[in-house]
This record gives sequence, C-alpha cells and structure tokens, in this order.
Amino acid sequence: MSENQKRPLDSGETRAALARWLGPALTADAVTITRAELLAGGAVQQNWRLDVTVTGGPRAGTHTWVLRTDAAATLSVSLDRIAEYKCIAEAHKAGVLVAEPIACSEDRDLLGAPFAIQAFVSGVAQGRRIVRDPDLASFGDALARTIGGEMAKLHAVVPKDGVLPFLPRPLGNPARRIVGECRAVLDKASAPRPALEYVLAWLDRNAPEPKAIALVHGDLRTGNYMVDHGQLTAILDWEFCHWGDPREDLGWFIARCWRFGNDQKVAGGIAKLAFLLEGYNAVAAQKISAPELQYFEVQAAARWATIALAQGDRFVQGGERSLELALTGLMPPEMELDCLDIIDRIEGKGGR
Amino acid sequence: MPNLTLGAEALLDLASEALRNEIAPSLPADKRYLAAMIGNALDIARREMAGEAEAATFALLDAVYDDGDGTLAQLAKDIRAGKVTDQSYADLRKRLKTQLMSELAVRNPRHLKAMQARR
Repeated sequence: MSENQKRPLDSGETRAALARWLGPALTADAVTITRAELLAGGAVQQNWRLDVTVTGGPRAGTHTWVLRTDAAATLSVSLDRIAEYKCIAEAHKAGVLVAEPIACSEDRDLLGAPFAIQAFVSGVAQGRRIVRDPDLASFGDALARTIGGEMAKLHAVVPKDGVLPFLPRPLGNPARRIVGECRAVLDKASAPRPALEYVLAWLDRNAPEPKAIALVHGDLRTGNYMVDHGQLTAILDWEFCHWGDPREDLGWFIARCWRFGNDQKVAGGIAKLAFLLEGYNAVAAQKISAPELQYFEVQAAARWATIALAQGDRFVQGGERSLELALTGLMPPEMELDCLDIIDRIEGKGGR
Repeated sequence: MPNLTLGAEALLDLASEALRNEIAPSLPADKRYLAAMIGNALDIARREMAGEAEAATFALLDAVYDDGDGTLAQLAKDIRAGKVTDQSYADLRKRLKTQLMSELAVRNPRHLKAMQARR
C-alpha cells in the first residue's frame, strides 16, 4: 500500500477528485474541500474531518463533514460501511437523531476503500465521561427520555419491500436466533463457559414471542451516542443494525455492563429506567413495560459475555497482540453473574 | 517483618506497585489507560498464581460428576444438551455462581466486592 493510499486525502489531487465526485452526488454546481484532517482512530478504518464549500444546489454553503472509510469487519455480524450508511439514512428518514447522512460511495478507485460522509456532530461520547459528568443530575432524566423517544422512532421502521433489502429478514423467533448466534460463537471459543451455556439454555426456554419486528440499532448504549451540554446530538455506531425485537435495544441500553459503575441509574448509568420508558412509550405504537425487559436484560448480558469471549479469542486464536482484547476476554464472569442474578430475581431468589 | 518469598508473585506485586506509584503519574494522559491495563494484567497474573479459582472449579465439577472425571468442556456440553439441569442437579445455579465468583476474585476483585455489596 502506498503512502498515498494510507492517507489518501493528504493528496491535493485526491481531494480535488473527491470534490469533483461530490458535485453531481449533491446536485451542486461545484464543491471545494478547503481542509481535510485525519482524526484519531484505527489503522484500518479512517475518519477524516472535511471542511467543504458547496456552490449551488440544496446544500449550498460551508459545512464540516466527517468521511469514514470502510474497515475490514472484525465481527462477522457487523455491517460494512455502505450498508451501515443506508441504515443511518433510513433512521434519519424516520426522524431519528443521527449525524446527517450526506453521501456514500462503494467505488474503491477514489480513496482505495468505500466511504461514507456524514455531518460533523460535536459532543462527548465516552460513556465514563457522560456518567461522571458533574451536571448529570440536571440533564440525565431528560436525556434518557429523549433517547427513549429516539428508539421508538427507529422502531417505527418495519420490514417492507424496498426498505433495507440487504438486511436478512428474521426467520423464526428473534430471541432464539440470538441464542443460536451466541452458541455458534461458543462452539468456536477457546475456553468452555458452562455458566453461559446455562444462561443460553434459560434464554432458549423462556424466549418470548416478538410483539413486533422492527429496525433495531443493535448496539445502542451509553458510549454510542453523543451528548453536548446535556443534549443528545446523535446516535452513533450503526454497524449492528438489524431486523429484530425492539425490546433488544432497550435491554441492551439498560444492561448493567453499560452503566459504567453508575449502577443505581439503570438506564445506561444516566437515569432511572422509568425515564427511558416514559420517553419510549410517549412515541411508540407498541408500549413496553419494565417487567418484560428483564428477559432482554439477561439477553444483553449474555450477548456481551459472548462478544467479550470472542474479543479475547482474537488474541488467543487470531494472534492479534492487544492487551485490551486479552483483558476483554477475561470479562465474561461479570456478565454471567449478572445473568444468574436476574434469573434468580425472575424465578425467585436463591438458586434452586 | 513480613515473611516473603522472592518468586513470581512477589515480583509481579512489586512491578505493579512501581508502575502505579512511580511510572503512571508521570505519563501523558493518552498513555495512562494503557498503564492502567498493564497494572491490571500484572495483578490478575499474580492472583492467578495463587490458584484459588481452580479450587472452586474442581468443587463444581466434583459436585456434578461423581466419578471425578468431569471437565468444564463436558459440563458446558451437558448443560447445552439438557443433560445437566436445575432438575437433575438441584444446586446447579448456586454452584455456577460460586465458581464465577472465584473467577472474578482473580480477574476483577473490585467488581466482585461491588457486586457483593449490592446483595
């Protein structure tokens, strides 16, 4: 790979080519990229901040955008950059607060990889910083309400012809499908996890019928949304978007592993669950109650335990020398214990 | 004076202490997370050497398998196949929890403590 391909937008020629491509893509007379800056991030996937001037057309004016190139998928279930972009565009159409989708291209000739461009959004995303914000008490409840409402808008997108046709239509019970996906990971894992098998057997036996099938974010949690001065500015990281049971998203959001130590604030470490549900039920056609989320909280913790195991195996089996991956691989007992505690709560204390 | 053995455990303990107390504070902010992870890894390795998690695993396996030949892989398989259940083994969930807590005592004792405080 040449230096130019490693940092393609450092080259004035490539910036001009991108600008020429953007013109017709945005039905503009002309597009000028006045600045391109590589943002901190991974080696495989690049994030560039672009300052852009658009002449003519619906987007005339100066803008700051973020261009993200495609990364080789690290988890088999994740979407590629273009599929992710299309999901974001669908969510945007449904009124969900996302970084506005601007354009995408599957053409590798331009930058060496497919890419997607979205509006630049300011704010903080790091979970730890959000739950430890000294002003959380003043904005946490309203933030949880807003996020609940945004989830409900997303869940109004349902599978029908022409809508995200590349996403697999769910066959059978979506809760059982998740059990199957987790078991498939365990089959390949480097170490057996009897407790996780126990939890998956429980999830299989107790799988509820879906109340609806809708577009599900798949990774909506504190850490994957952006907050600016206490206000939600965008929901991020859509690569696990799929058709599923809407309750998956709520269960994932409230799972203890995503409260970053703020355990009493069940809704993502920012507020009580009631505020999230209040916001959700104010918008959703299908109302959701706290008790029915217990199953999905177990599902979420089991899913995260499985993902953590797979992350550890990227080191153990895949030879990726990363201390962070190795330490993540040691986390499953935390989530497995959460699962068993919730099962105790559901079935009556003490473990039979 | 404590009676120490100059071996792996003591060395890891000293290394972790030196990293946290003398190295980490002088690091630039973007390297502190890595230093914390290294300290964490050293501590986990030290606790693992004490071998306490293994005792709980054997207790679990011996309780489920009378012949003493059980392995975690076998137990995982039998649970998936429905051969070992709450019905076939009354204390299963409780035993699994005990084993997880002993794993956590090695991997993340702070988390374990917080968890026990919640109960």
